[in-house]
Amino acid sequence: MTATATHCPYCALQCAMTLSSAAATAREADADGSASLAAAVTVAGRDFPTNRGGLCKKGWTSAELLVSPDRILEPLLRQADGTFEPAAWSDALDLVAAKLRETRAEFGADAVGVFGGGGLTNEKAYQLGKFTRVALRSSRIDYNGRFCMSSAAAAGNRAFGLDRGLPFRVDELDAADTILILGSNVAQTMPPFIGHLDGARAAGGLVVVDPRRTATARLTADGAGMHVQPTPGSDFVLLLGLTHIVIAEKLVDQDYLEARTTGFDAVRRSVSQWWPTRVQEQTGVPVWQLRELARRLAAGAARGAATGSGTYILTGRGVEQHADGTDTATAAINLSLVLGLVGTSHSGYGTLTGQGNGQGGREHGQKCDQLPGYRKITDPAARAHVAGVWGVDPDSLPGVGLPAVELLSALGEPGGIRCLLVHGSNVVVSAPNADRVRAALKTLDFLVVADFFFSETAVLADVVLPVTQWAEEEGTMTSLEGRVIRRRQAVEAPGGVRSELWIWQELARRLNSPGTFSAEAAAVFDELCQASAGGLADYSGLSYALLDSEEPAFWPYPVGSTGTPRLFLDRFAHPDGRAHFVAVTARRLGAPAQVGGTLTLITGRLLEHYQSGTQTRRVKELADARPEARLQLHPATAEQLGIEDEAWVEVSNDRGTVRCRAQVSTDIRFDTVFLPFHFAGDQRANLLTDDETDPISGMPEFKKTTVRVKALVEAGAHV
Amino acid sequence: MSEKPERIVLVGYGPVGARFVEELLPLVRQGAATLTVVGAESADAYNRVLIAEYAVGNADRESLDITDTLAAREAGVHLRRGVGVTAILRSRRVVSLSDGTLLPYDRLVLATGARANIPTLDGVTRVRRDRQIPPTDAATLDTSGAPLPRGVTVLRDLDDAERVLAAVTAGKRIVVLGAGVLGMEIALAAAAAGGEACVVYHGEIPMARNLDRGGGSVLARSARRAGVTMVNHSRAESLLFHQDDDGVDRFDALICADGKQIHGDLLLLSCGVGARTELAQLAGLPVSTGVLVDENLQSWTDARIYAIGDCAHVAAAPRAGDSTAPPAGGPSGLIGPGWRQADWLAARFIASVLGRPDTAALAASASAVVMLKAEGIDVVSVGNTSADPGDLSVDDHAAGCASAPLHVSQWADPEHGRYVKMVTRDGILDGFVCVGMPRTAAELTLLFERGSELPADRSVLLRYDGPDYEPEAGSAFARDATVCWCNGVTVGAIADSAEAGNTTIACIGAATRAGTGCGGCKARIGDVLERFAAATAESAS
Repeated sequence: MTATATHCPYCALQCAMTLSSAAATAREADADGSASLAAAVTVAGRDFPTNRGGLCKKGWTSAELLVSPDRILEPLLRQADGTFEPAAWSDALDLVAAKLRETRAEFGADAVGVFGGGGLTNEKAYQLGKFTRVALRSSRIDYNGRFCMSSAAAAGNRAFGLDRGLPFRVDELDAADTILILGSNVAQTMPPFIGHLDGARAAGGLVVVDPRRTATARLTADGAGMHVQPTPGSDFVLLLGLTHIVIAEKLVDQDYLEARTTGFDAVRRSVSQWWPTRVQEQTGVPVWQLRELARRLAAGAARGAATGSGTYILTGRGVEQHADGTDTATAAINLSLVLGLVGTSHSGYGTLTGQGNGQGGREHGQKCDQLPGYRKITDPAARAHVAGVWGVDPDSLPGVGLPAVELLSALGEPGGIRCLLVHGSNVVVSAPNADRVRAALKTLDFLVVADFFFSETAVLADVVLPVTQWAEEEGTMTSLEGRVIRRRQAVEAPGGVRSELWIWQELARRLNSPGTFSAEAAAVFDELCQASAGGLADYSGLSYALLDSEEPAFWPYPVGSTGTPRLFLDRFAHPDGRAHFVAVTARRLGAPAQVGGTLTLITGRLLEHYQSGTQTRRVKELADARPEARLQLHPATAEQLGIEDEAWVEVSNDRGTVRCRAQVSTDIRFDTVFLPFHFAGDQRANLLTDDETDPISGMPEFKKTTVRVKALVEAGAHV
Repeated sequence: MSEKPERIVLVGYGPVGARFVEELLPLVRQGAATLTVVGAESADAYNRVLIAEYAVGNADRESLDITDTLAAREAGVHLRRGVGVTAILRSRRVVSLSDGTLLPYDRLVLATGARANIPTLDGVTRVRRDRQIPPTDAATLDTSGAPLPRGVTVLRDLDDAERVLAAVTAGKRIVVLGAGVLGMEIALAAAAAGGEACVVYHGEIPMARNLDRGGGSVLARSARRAGVTMVNHSRAESLLFHQDDDGVDRFDALICADGKQIHGDLLLLSCGVGARTELAQLAGLPVSTGVLVDENLQSWTDARIYAIGDCAHVAAAPRAGDSTAPPAGGPSGLIGPGWRQADWLAARFIASVLGRPDTAALAASASAVVMLKAEGIDVVSVGNTSADPGDLSVDDHAAGCASAPLHVSQWADPEHGRYVKMVTRDGILDGFVCVGMPRTAAELTLLFERGSELPADRSVLLRYDGPDYEPEAGSAFARDATVCWCNGVTVGAIADSAEAGNTTIACIGAATRAGTGCGGCKARIGDVLERFAAATAESAS
């Protein structure tokens, strides 16, 4: 038996776990292969400051996927008749390399696109960016984090000069007096996190803003705090209104504003128009509740200065996944700044990163405008530094590419992308206006998908490359608190499966790429550290040896430092050292008349599933608990539309139609319906969402979709 | 697009004018238009909506700032403040200013706003504003008339607000004449601040323009409970004065037609506002309760002149043969519609100057929602709410009648200060009154603004303000209540597991994973087990 200390494969909380297995050679030793391996790998929680030994249902069952019968075990090539046939790795890679070369020769380097994922390790995220720019010489790389953290990242960068989801340690929340959570259902998306809310709950200070009475909102019951239930898409106005009250009631931290910020006057003027009754008019949140909330936040902040138990404001995708998500996140930051929360020892603002490596994945060059170390690709000094590490001419690096939605819109278009590589993403389920994406993928000359399973995207590929799962590989992840942690190999991968690092090494060699592409995670990490040196996300003081000592490692971690658990204590990352207020204007007000079944759709996650469900839908215990999508709607709305609990409904707009069963519940506003986004086929919530994007972050409008809901009479066909 | 930049002149720099400036900045920045703003007040535009808050000390002067004048200047806007417009010379397309300069325009936007009405009272000099006889003296065009006696004020600008604030902070007795929204807000705020306040009004109920009888009486009752003296059915006739030490008369009491004398330290006249239309009238533009403009906000008779905000009376221009009676409606007196007009007109100007296709038509202003801003008393109303539940029914309605019948749903609980009336057509709100039920009011406002259908069971809306709304509802020990959120384990699953012999928290954890996430539910697992054990013991005995 060997025990391996690693972390969960799923969300950004990255709960620590121990994988115990018989020797890695168990597979060969045992006659009946995979079944015995399943028995051989067991998961146990491991004590760690974030999860304190606990795991959620997803973590406990994660090892089941290592031996899933659905696993792809060798490269597959699409045949003329549309079926897939296995192929040798050398043949598959020769074919891919040939197609990449041909496409580039005929249509130019930017005709090859790359789509990455926020679940890839730091090493892979880094190497994928390098591979695209050095081996493919293409600018066309972006990733699914664009659908996740881009708005909060853009808002954090312009306010603080730096974006680290939580600029403090998760366990610092334990001491909080007041925690305001907007648009995040942590009790279901990262359940062990809620242990860190206990202090605020005991102080009666947990406030959850959500159009649904979610599991997280329920944590405010019985005197633990308050649930605020605005109409979808009005969170922006809500935040402006809270800022208005804080200013009007003189709850502003004046000393802090003067010492640590610039730009307050513009914000003061811009929120003057959002007096409480006008906010009530737009949000559905009554004035008394707005005032009570503003006062509580300020009281917590004052208490923080006196006793150390302060106020934290945390945002999630609910407020960020809007076509004005950057400005909405900025409004949350402005509120945090007027209260004097950010960069203190007792309070703070943070955004709750979603995907496993959603933090690290956005730092090292998977973004279309970025180079490792959270550097800008447009910055000549950044280009020179990174090109130096890569051993190439800075001028050979391409410029800014296209953000995810634009990149997907360019598929198959004239002058657009003809050949696409997809790593760690299932865009057919996760991208907005999903059917349009599906259709666009089909117009490509060549699609390569690397995955462990036949995801809905892999099904469309010309070549599917089977890759390692988390327990089969080495690497690092950067969790939601900016802590760099080690992912360690516990078992051998099946014989026909390879790591992406190896795949890119092989492809780079076939493409005669300059530079070196190591297949060893540790070597790639060392290079990443060098490339990030001097950047905002500086990892240069880190190494596997240091991480393996289990020393806490929070970036920035430049050589010679011991890392930065809490950011901004002395200064912000702008050259002037101050936090910058940015006055923002809410323009996307109102909603269409809700008549005859017209309602507002919001989407989100369930406890049992993760992202597009490619993994969790293949875990029996999870799939049994939540086998299909259910449309949550209020009983009054259901009654009006003649819909009964569990009856089939049709949810549609001019982009698509979802058919699923209804879940009638008073836990949702009567003007709102909810769909989880983990399901495939005609239960894809993203068939309905709009691919209109935020002009700053490129974030699509996921959280405010107008739909028509009706009872489906011919239910038999769908049962 | 013309070669020369379009010359735009804006008269008035209040909140609506300032909004128009902000929205037009892109056009000015790119040099396609010049914008000159003429404002009589020398202060920057401020948020007049909050003037009542300021007057009772709930907002400071800074928080009234609403626009970045510096940014406007930097963008190239010419600001002429402390200067009045004395005349519009339409044939020459210039306006003349009080400092003698002439300002040419291609488009002229009037945002001159409104002034407080001064009622006819013996003891108060009232400037005559006869609509039939236009004023001729330009110098008096933009003043608010003769000074009011000491101890008497209106509440419209910063100076007024400071007078009221001084009285409120000194705990003086304030007599408010008129029970409109503003009057009620001041009285309630003064009472909340510990002062004495008395509201004197004509009719039976306060806010008679906005509320039905039921809503009005509940408000009056709530206001009394909040410490405000409400004096209804009272027509004010004259003022009594006493002499201050310096020999100047000061307000002493208000005398009503029935002989009542109401004493106080400050009399606040809160009798509505009237549009500042003199400039337009002098220039021969049609004027009713405001400057008459069509749905494009263009003057009925001069396509180069526009009006927005409190001075604008939007009505379709009459065609030949139409009635010559003054059109219905008038300025709403609310900021929301004014801002929408400013936004829309700026967008329209940008489109036409740049030669782009016209923007969508200005949405017809639905009746504006009126909300009373007072802590602890919530009043929201909109639309026509005079109908009563017994008035109309589907049966009475003639078949084939063009408009759908009105339906009324009502909830009245005056004892507890709660009252709701919803007037609907085809399930969509035509108007509503909501007193003392803030969450319901907020939802009704959303439903009205969007024109959305109400839940067929209207009582769903009332329950938001009920004590049973919050999530405590339901027993923590119901079988389907979740105990462990991390692993989605219910009371039922724990009970079943206990029945199967897992009687400790550790055993339950191993069997169901309950408590193996954040661990926060372990105490509750213990409670469930204890209850289960007790139940088993009971059934065994």
